Parts: sequence; C-alpha cells; structure tokens
Amino acid sequence: MIKKKQAFRHTRAFWLFVLPALLLFSVFFILPLILSIGFSFTNYDGWKTMDFVGLKNYIKLFTSIEFYKALGRTFVYALCNLPFKVIIPLLVATLVTSKRLKGTTPIRTIIYIPVLLSALVAGITINWMFGQEYGLINFIIQKLGGTPLEWALNPKLATFVISFASNWVTVGYYMILFIGGINNIPKELYEAGSVDGATSVQTFFRLTLPLLSPTIFIVLLLSSVGLLKEYALIQGITQGGPGTSTTYIIKYIFDQGFTQYRYGYASAIGVIVSLIFIVIALIQFRATNGGGEV
Amino acid sequence: MNNAKKGHRMQEILITLVGVLVAVIMIFPIIWLLMSSFKANTELFAYPLHLFPQEFSINSYINVIKNGFFTYVKNSLFIAVVGTLITVIISAMCGYALAIYRNEINYTNKVFAIFLLGTLVPGEILTISQFTVVSALGLYNNVWGVILPVVTTTTGIFMYRQHYMSIPLSLAESARIDGASELKIFKDIMFPLGSSVTVSLTIFSFMWRWNDYILPLMVLSEQKKFTIQIAIKSYIGTMTVDWISILAASILSIVPIVILFIFLQKYIVGGIATSGVKG
Repeated sequence: MIKKKQAFRHTRAFWLFVLPALLLFSVFFILPLILSIGFSFTNYDGWKTMDFVGLKNYIKLFTSIEFYKALGRTFVYALCNLPFKVIIPLLVATLVTSKRLKGTTPIRTIIYIPVLLSALVAGITINWMFGQEYGLINFIIQKLGGTPLEWALNPKLATFVISFASNWVTVGYYMILFIGGINNIPKELYEAGSVDGATSVQTFFRLTLPLLSPTIFIVLLLSSVGLLKEYALIQGITQGGPGTSTTYIIKYIFDQGFTQYRYGYASAIGVIVSLIFIVIALIQFRATNGGGEV
Repeated sequence: MNNAKKGHRMQEILITLVGVLVAVIMIFPIIWLLMSSFKANTELFAYPLHLFPQEFSINSYINVIKNGFFTYVKNSLFIAVVGTLITVIISAMCGYALAIYRNEINYTNKVFAIFLLGTLVPGEILTISQFTVVSALGLYNNVWGVILPVVTTTTGIFMYRQHYMSIPLSLAESARIDGASELKIFKDIMFPLGSSVTVSLTIFSFMWRWNDYILPLMVLSEQKKFTIQIAIKSYIGTMTVDWISILAASILSIVPIVILFIFLQKYIVGGIATSGVKG
C-alpha cells in the first residue's frame, strides 16, 4: 500500500519535472516538424492560401535544375572543406598538447576565441580583411606587386573567403575535442614509443592518429552537419552571391520560403534535405552509443 | 649530454614559436577589426593601410551608440539572460527526472528518445514552420517569440541526465526517509549537486542566445526590438554596406562574450569535453 502510494508520488513528480521541457519541445520542435511535412503537400504561401496539392511540390523539386544546383553546390562546398575541418584542428591540437610548448594556456585560449563569435560576425570579420578595394589582403597583394583580386565578384574566390571564415571559426572548437582525445591516450604508450626510439613524426602516425580515430570520426560528422547547414556566416560575407554561386541549401530554402513566399515548396525541400541530416545523425548515434558524448 | 640538452632546448623554442604563430594568425582578424574600428572614416578607406590607427578615433562607436545601440544591447541581454534561466531550470528538472526515476519508471528512456529527435534535424530546416507556430501564438515581433522556441536543448537535458546518473540513488532515498518531498529533494539537494553542469550550460546557453541569428531575424520586425546581431545585419544593405557602424557594433558584440570566456574558460572546455555537442 505504501509502495503503491510512493510509486504514484514518483510518477507524478517525474511528469511534473519533465513537463515544462516536454511541452516547449513539443510546441516549438515536434509541431513544426509535423507542420513542415504537412506544408510540403500544400501551396501554403505563409499568408492565406493553403490548398492540398499532393506531390506537386516534390515533383517540381525533383525536376528543378535550381534545386539540384543548390544541393550540388552545398555538397561540393562541404566535401572540399571537410579535410581542412579535420586536419587543421588535429595539427593544432597536436601542437598545443606538446610538452615542449611553453605558454600552453594562453595559446589555447587565443586559438579558441574565434569560436565565441556569432557566425554572422565571424563572416563579417573575415570579409573585412578580404575587401576588394580597401581590404588588407588586397593591399598586401599590391604591395608585393600583384593585382588585387576580386574576392566578391569571382565565384571561386568568394567561396574561398567563406571557406576560410568557416574553418577559422571552428578550429578552436574541434581542437578542444582533439585535445580531449589525445589526453585519453594512455601515457605509457608514448613512453614505450620513446624507449623504442620512435621519432615524433612516427609517434604521430603510428600511435596518435590510429588511437584518435573515434574523435576524428566525430569531428567529421559534426563538421559535415555544420558545413551542409552553413548560413549565417554567408550572410556576413556574400549573402549567396555573386549570382547564386554561394547560395547553399539552407539559404536556398529561406529564399524560396521567406523571399518568394513559397512555404509549401520550401517545406518540401526541407523534408528532403532533412533526410540527409537524419542519416548523418543516425551514424553519429551509433558511433556514440545513443548520446552526444565523444 | 650537453648536446642533447641543447637540441631539446632548440626544439622547445621552435615549437613555442610555431604555437605563437598559430595563435597570432587566429587572433589577427579580430585585432584587425578592432584596430579598424578606431580609425577615422577618412583613414578607413584610403591607402596605404596601417595596423594601428594613424589618428585614434571613437567616432564610429559614438555613432552606433547614438543610433540606439544600447537598446539592442538591452534586448540581447534580456533574451540571453531570461532564455538561459529558463533553459537551465527546465533542463535540470528534466535531466534529473530522467535519471533519478530510471529504476521505478520503465518509460524514462522513451521520453528521453523524444528529446533526442531534436538532434536529428537541424533547427534551421524547421525555421519556416517554427515561424508559423510563433505567429499563430501571437508572438510575432515579441521577445518571447525569440526566447521560447529555443529554450529546450537536448544538449542541456543530456548533460544533466548524465550527471545525475552518476549520483547514487541512495542519496534521494535517505532524504525521502527523512520526509523530504520530491520537489524539495531536487531543489535543496540535487540541483546544487549539479552545479558543474549548471555553470557550463549557463555559459553555453548565454553564448548561443547572444549570438542567435535566424529566429530573431524572422520574428523581430520593429527596430527598437532588434538584438545586436540583427542590428549588425541591418547595416548590410543590398547595395551598400555601412562598414563604419559594422566595425564598432561587431567589436561591441564580441567583447562581453570574450570577457565571459576568459574568466570562465575552464568550465567551457570541461563542458565540451563532457558533452561534445554543439548548438
């Protein structure tokens, strides 16, 4: 009898504790998730029109060159940047965990600082250096006798600036993950290595790298997601231009939805793109045993 | 022996030099932005460029402040502080309950799985329908429309759940024998025990809310309700960019976060190491 009473009290307490988070999550995440799927079958314009149109949005989507272009552009951008997103922080982490390094703490702190910036401000900060007319980089190029580059007008250069900013702002974050990974490697292994006379390069490739593969995997997944959904950073640099050459998929969804008032169509794109993210998330899920831990 | 020592010393110098170089490269864009923000308009757009302002000027700062910058700071602060407060309270309660009742209630994992849905799809993709919900609730152009949609974070719930899993259940059991209510056990005993998570989550959440971009951009329409990020965005026109305002405003938006970080960095680094999840 007492047991039963206690069980009831605990069940009630459990729901009271969980309720606020569950309620807010349902209203602002689960509901929008369902709405997105629902909207994708309508011609909703964000205002008054909302008729059921069946698969029309999806048919339009899969036959739209614009959509494939935006998606292709996003994949190329992500794939080209992926190696840098892993290699640079890994090298930096190896450097800042070296016992020979003096001033480890201030150096780590400074490297981390760009992570603190909002994506918009990070984009702006890098863009300021790459200004066409009075930018620092072009000034240096001219000083060295070169011709100033059209950073904003040339699609390739514009993509380079965005990539530069994107990497700059995440180096510190992934560095911390790699430092965690490196610190988890048992010290005895390194001692054994140095007794055997391994050089530091050998140690890195034969010991550090293989033992870090779980962390490398996580950084790959996290940066894939980050790159595929790049948006605010670009708003601080090219805003999708020149033309549509840096309009990646999230920007494309917003343009369709908020600029052209095609909520239904934009939702359909969202649904399709979600599938890509869900696959990545499920891989991550398996890799980390159902949580977010590294 | 002496030679080996010398070689060791050389290596130390070399590695430290590389370390300093990396740090300088990483911080330089911000230093350049900072220095530029103190240059007079005429110097900003004239060659040759100098790192240090030829003539130190705070005009750009005076300018943004005159144009209502403190209103944006106030709005950003309100959103960040209130949002963080709600995030910490609801995440702690939820994560705690998911952990502490795990033996008595057999569906805690199912409830947790619902929250894990939040990590499947990036919020960016749901913005359009989130915006529809916010409007339907009458929260368009309202700070609550910016705060409420993002206060639940799976990361936060996850961090607390992990933490309370490691606390022995007997602690709650003995408090119950002493006649403490479930709420009292949480409030007086368990919440203080989660302070390490609370500190990390507070810093992260404050940073996320301070730097939020998409939702405020969609939801806030009136200039006097703008956050700093939206104000900065508003300086970027389709044709012209008001660089003078952007430089000063960007620096002002960075400063509070960097100060917070420098004082509390050990919690940030610890937080990433234990949760490893972003956003």
